[in-house]
Amino acid sequence: MAETHVAESVWSGGVSPFGVSWRKLMMWIFIITDGLLFAGLLAGYGFLRLASPTWPDRSEVFYIPFIAFMTFVLITSSATMGTAVGAARQGDRRWIVRGLALTILGGLTFLGCQAYEWTHLIQEGARLYTNPWGVPHFTACFFVLTGFHGSHVFSGVIILTVTLIRTLLGKATPEGVEVAGLYWHFVDLVWVFIFTLFYLL
Amino acid sequence: MAEKEHVHGGYRLYWVTWFWLLILTILMIGFEVLHMPRFFLVLALVVFMLTKAAFIAGNFMHLRFERLNLIVTVIVGLLITGAVLFALISPDGLRVLHLSGAS
Repeated sequence: MAETHVAESVWSGGVSPFGVSWRKLMMWIFIITDGLLFAGLLAGYGFLRLASPTWPDRSEVFYIPFIAFMTFVLITSSATMGTAVGAARQGDRRWIVRGLALTILGGLTFLGCQAYEWTHLIQEGARLYTNPWGVPHFTACFFVLTGFHGSHVFSGVIILTVTLIRTLLGKATPEGVEVAGLYWHFVDLVWVFIFTLFYLL
Repeated sequence: MAEKEHVHGGYRLYWVTWFWLLILTILMIGFEVLHMPRFFLVLALVVFMLTKAAFIAGNFMHLRFERLNLIVTVIVGLLITGAVLFALISPDGLRVLHLSGAS
């Protein structure tokens, strides 16, 4: 009893200091650790960028409106995911299914755009350590950053597809949809940093 | 618990957030196209980037409706540690550039 009282006075949360279920807490902890992976990758990119006397002009390498379209797709998919989470809380099964299906479609569209972008650059001669723009690290940063992010989008599409199937079977819980949504929004969050720091700056 | 107290008002929150994210993205591209001075461009883009991140984490991920313990854990664990990591590693690139005599 005394122990619980001490915990409550320190954490204001007693036995559940974060006030969330273990599933949601585990997803948050995963997001923090996975976010640090991307922070490390972006810090490495920052190092290489600052150490390089020149850096290719991104608007000459990439078609920025196309990258902006990819960003638009991902932002919109986050909104549809939010709609699915909101519907799950309200028990509106029809909108859970619609929201999840649209989010999956958004994820697949993003992956298709990324595949097109990679193919285009590879056809222009871009490789992991060599490229026609004279800065070898440039494509190393590009392929590693966008590759890691793309693999996360791919994982997200799989997670959402499983969640959609479980919803259709009547097995998904509102919390399950919310945890899947947390992961998807995290993927969107990471793209905000990659889009700004790699493509625009 | 704070989650339960949070009244969603349908799906409005998500689409209002989507709208602001879209506006911020358009502004970022606009600033890029305008070719403004480098310092102001970097400053503006970083501010917009962090604003977008706050919108996504706060509204889409519902972080602002969570208990303070979780908010602080995420911010310290991710944002501050990430920023420290970035600040400790990236500036060494300038040193390498200087030592290589290319600057």
